Amino acid sequence: MMNAPVGGVVHHYRIPAISTFALACALALPAQAYAAGTRAGSTISNTASASFDNGAGTQTIDSNKVDLRVDELLDVTVDSSDPADVATTPGATGQLLTFSLTNNGNGQEGFALSTVANGGGDNFDPTVTQVYLDNGDGVFDAGTDTLYTAGANDPVLDPDQSRTIFILSTIAGSVADGDRGIVSLIAASKTGTGAPGTSFAGAGEGGGDAIVGSTGADGQDAGAYAVSAATVSLVKSAVVADPFGGSEPVPGATITYTIVATVAGSGSVNGLAITDNVPADTSYVANSATLGGAALTDAADGDAGSYDGTRISVALGTIAGGQTRTVTFQTKID
Amino acid sequence: MRSALLLAFAALLPGQALAADQIALDNSVFVERVKTDAAGKQRILLEEPKVVVPGDKLVFVLNYRNAGARAADRFVITNPLPAAVRFADAGDTQPLVSVDGGHAWGRLANLTITLADGTRRAAQPADVTHIRWAFQKPIPAGASGKLMFRGIVK
Repeated sequence: MMNAPVGGVVHHYRIPAISTFALACALALPAQAYAAGTRAGSTISNTASASFDNGAGTQTIDSNKVDLRVDELLDVTVDSSDPADVATTPGATGQLLTFSLTNNGNGQEGFALSTVANGGGDNFDPTVTQVYLDNGDGVFDAGTDTLYTAGANDPVLDPDQSRTIFILSTIAGSVADGDRGIVSLIAASKTGTGAPGTSFAGAGEGGGDAIVGSTGADGQDAGAYAVSAATVSLVKSAVVADPFGGSEPVPGATITYTIVATVAGSGSVNGLAITDNVPADTSYVANSATLGGAALTDAADGDAGSYDGTRISVALGTIAGGQTRTVTFQTKID
Repeated sequence: MRSALLLAFAALLPGQALAADQIALDNSVFVERVKTDAAGKQRILLEEPKVVVPGDKLVFVLNYRNAGARAADRFVITNPLPAAVRFADAGDTQPLVSVDGGHAWGRLANLTITLADGTRRAAQPADVTHIRWAFQKPIPAGASGKLMFRGIVK
């Protein structure tokens, strides 16, 4: 044991073993992954010095110098940047997934990208149409980002550098509301991949070896599309009120039509509008239309309803699944 | 990576050639590698590396020997930490350390780092820039000893 040199050292005439305590500490050290780290090809040099006085004044000596060359560590991670499933609809094209590719190694490295859309664990397989390399702004723009072609423009990243990668997919028309489709992005070091510790002689930056790090020199992460579709159903009913207090469809009777629009599904419908022609041999009762019980004017103005002389139109806009809208209007039998 | 030595054997390395002034200080660096043997047991091997990668655990071993005829007084060993190495621990050798490039020295637990906003925080192993052992008693003639510390390649 080496006890407190500061407080009065114990000198040894034989070289002691490193303590078992220190060994236990070493075992407890977690296997940490270091982002980037010391650049591949650099040299770590260690020299210690000793000063002492053996009766002739203070002298200083240096130890021998030990040089260690730092080899290239190959490490890469891929992370999905989408915080949740990306909503899509049946038959949609150009559906975007966003990933982040990071070089966790300590040398400049190129990465080959590939995608897997049929990995299972989902309801359908999206069709990947393109992979784009971001121009640095993190926002997809086919005009300014670079279309990726495997082997032709593999991204080359410096240590610790990240690049945003976009995947565009087409969704089949046959998918159902609530279905999920997973696409994985895979990045592999071009120097090589393999079990951690695998060495590629002479392939590292700076002329040294390249060593596969804890990530296996390849990384992947999955993003998912979730189909969020909605369907609309319309139910129309009519109530007749004759001038005599009955419900006979005689001339002069008023017919109140009720149209209920029901939106079902996890998505929403945009631009939903209800139009209904006023039936022949009846006359529209001016300003009789209502939406959710509120009166609508016939003019095409600020409210949602209008009557153009032949039909009623009510613009409902965007309606989320699970909601209903009720439109009524009245006609008189001629 | 030429020699793969068990930890216990590493301590039995012979002393190095003596300096002219009859105090010798020998510096060796080992890397700790965990190997799994055929039986599935993990063993820690100390190897003398020529190359390392970030994350490698290094063991720095300093062997000193007073081969002179007289005791060496005020014996101090100083090892500036290579910039690419993060200090981990010094086992139970209890060195003084510096976290400011060798200006101030103390036990790590007593040192602080001044932050940009003027406040101070306790120094961490990663802050260490120099390691020093200051012996309070002379090294007798013929005596030798060994010091060690661990670091991690940044």
